[in-house]
Amino acid sequence: MWPLKINYSHMKKYLTALLMLLVAGFIVKGQTTDPLVSNCVLNAGPDAKYLKDFRIQLARAATAGEPRYKAQMSLWKNTKYRFSMCNSEDSNGKLILSIKDNTNNEVLSSFDQKTGKIYPYVDFICNKSGIYQLNYDFSGRQQGSGVGVVSMVK
Amino acid sequence: MGVRSFLILLLVLTECFSCRNSPNKASEFVFPEADSVPLGEAEKLSAEAIADISNNITSPVEIAYLLQIMNVPFSPDYLASSIDANKQPTTFDKALTLGILGADLGYLNMYEKTGSSLDILSSIRKLAEGLSVGQFFDFETIKRLSLNKSNLDSLLFLSIDSYTQIDKYLRNNDRGQLSALMIIGVWIEAQYLATQVVKKHPDPMLRDRIGEQKIILNDLIMLASPYCSRDTEFNSLCRYLQEIKDKYRDIRITYTLGEPVSVEKDGGLVIKQTETSKVEMTGEQLAEIIGVTAVVRDKLVLNN
Repeated sequence: MWPLKINYSHMKKYLTALLMLLVAGFIVKGQTTDPLVSNCVLNAGPDAKYLKDFRIQLARAATAGEPRYKAQMSLWKNTKYRFSMCNSEDSNGKLILSIKDNTNNEVLSSFDQKTGKIYPYVDFICNKSGIYQLNYDFSGRQQGSGVGVVSMVK
Repeated sequence: MGVRSFLILLLVLTECFSCRNSPNKASEFVFPEADSVPLGEAEKLSAEAIADISNNITSPVEIAYLLQIMNVPFSPDYLASSIDANKQPTTFDKALTLGILGADLGYLNMYEKTGSSLDILSSIRKLAEGLSVGQFFDFETIKRLSLNKSNLDSLLFLSIDSYTQIDKYLRNNDRGQLSALMIIGVWIEAQYLATQVVKKHPDPMLRDRIGEQKIILNDLIMLASPYCSRDTEFNSLCRYLQEIKDKYRDIRITYTLGEPVSVEKDGGLVIKQTETSKVEMTGEQLAEIIGVTAVVRDKLVLNN
């Protein structure tokens, strides 16, 4: 039986919950078009063809060590790849990429240890097909969130 | 029914339908088949290992890009046009076909044949919805971008990202076998494209790319292996992959060492790798790979 008396205090609580869930629903759907990712993709350059992205969120690390975000990716001979790094505004550190080949040799880094310069993108002319390890971290192992976009360029 | 129960029901219904793309889907909602895999089976490969394998598979976009560098003209003959998305009865068929059509979509997009991709998009939509993953594919935006032919970057990003989201969602929800099928479908179709083109355009770069697939074939087989004894469909697929692998057995990939050379350019860094890889593959071996790929791909497409 439908009650005749409505408890407005409870009603308000449920409506607030409904509103929050609706907002959550939109956020979930919006994950596919995260503006940080789409801006990073579009800023990779007019000739760049998007291949993949890696979304990285890391807390500050207390101790020094290896880069904390690792992923594998196959890279193919006769291809020029562009690795772009973008940071969200609230990041304390800048996103840095280094890549190692299957023999654990470093083939590139967006951080120049001699000058301390961090490059926002690195073009890599690949001449050896294989599976490579992409390592990301934020400068000084600080807190940050960012995205690493991989594209192909002519 | 009290106000409390009514509002709870309303909340549940609202959340269910907020994940769907169009309002008319409410009437089309069908419970998916039982397609989750017991944890014990899926655990044979770690989540990170599966994610890595997924990243290692050659993107059809990369193959299409190589074809463009070679000045190979677009041909609709390579597409899996015979596939009817309405005639995919099982989740196995749906997931595999989703992968195959994803590769075709990548090929069409790279050649900016975006008007022609609308039929494929519609099939992809049906298949994705059939697997209850339609919410990850922003069909309306992709369709609009395809029709406008204005922003290839956004189109490529949205298409690839949708597949990545679907793949991730399936793996995180104990439906890893569907993710594996999708990845295998993408690879087989991209491999078919490469092997068909090389018959007419025997460019050394494309020849090498086909031979280099040996690098990732084991990973692909490993991805499928936890599910090979699951049913007859998977069993056949595992056998097909093994047949392809057998043709790669005697192909050799050798390496020469070298130090990378780097220069600064326009605020970025350009690094040229001097270390090289070389594929040793005879014409006969290539012909066998072309043959077995066509047989397997046709079985998968025509059996549908």
